[in-house]
Amino acid sequence: MSTRIAGGLIGVVFGVVLSWSGMTSPEVIREGLLFQSSYLFLFFFGAVATAFVGLRLLKRSAPPALLTGERIAWEPVQPQRRHVVGSLLFGVGWGVSGACPGPIATQLGQGIAWGVPTAVGLILGIIVFRRMQSRSQRGTERTPTASVIPSPVAADATA
Amino acid sequence: MVHSQLPWFIGGPLLGLCVVAMRWLMNERLGVMGAWSDVVDTVAAKRLSFGPFGWMLFGLIAGAAIFALIAGGPVFEGYGWLTDTFSGTGATLLIVAILFACGILIGLGTKIAGGCTSGNGLSGNAMLSPASLVATMTFFVTAIVVTFVTEALI
Repeated sequence: MSTRIAGGLIGVVFGVVLSWSGMTSPEVIREGLLFQSSYLFLFFFGAVATAFVGLRLLKRSAPPALLTGERIAWEPVQPQRRHVVGSLLFGVGWGVSGACPGPIATQLGQGIAWGVPTAVGLILGIIVFRRMQSRSQRGTERTPTASVIPSPVAADATA
Repeated sequence: MVHSQLPWFIGGPLLGLCVVAMRWLMNERLGVMGAWSDVVDTVAAKRLSFGPFGWMLFGLIAGAAIFALIAGGPVFEGYGWLTDTFSGTGATLLIVAILFACGILIGLGTKIAGGCTSGNGLSGNAMLSPASLVATMTFFVTAIVVTFVTEALI
């Protein structure tokens, strides 16, 4: 099986679960963030706990990756200013829209029209980042944004 | 009809297993922003040869479409706090503008922070990455504060 097919299949499972759990509905996200429902936090906790245990087991047994054969390994990333600055921006967008990148995709999949402006904005945000990144690489002088724009090398594996 | 919400103790672990599968199959960190970025980067390079992450985004959209077909419709209760606040002519345009601005903040912010709710929040924390813990606390606290403030204002 190619990694592309595997990525697609993982996406299908992810999309069905996000949809079935109600994460596509901003009302569900909002109820969670207002502490009116514990579902969002329990759901998130269940996902992190499961992934944590699974990754521990993988790291301990250290098998080669099933499809690519490469050694399974990762390095922890130390916090930098960009992790706080970026997450502040993201938190405002998430809090107001009740949608983050996964649910924006599942809104489109479910045919929810409100997902279109959010998705277009998200794509524009990526394009703006690409521009800022190439500019900070070209200029040798330190721009005000240089400290929060990671270079492709320093960027976390698959941000 | 599958309109009842999937219990968190089933849905959560299933998402966690997706993270494990991505690592076990191809030694990659699962992140939906990585998926969006792959599509944007590939199209910007005037190619259509999407990688596993690009295909993951298509899978997400397809999975949601399959769910909506089986469930008999989308799981969506509207944007109550926005549609109740802004009414009359121009309200729809205003909400579209607000969501568009939110999208820019989400896209730019997660790219700067190196991950979103899945990349940093889910995968990064499970990898015990200190940067992801800082990022997750920042976006959760920010989103909670913003939600409480907007709830108080409207």
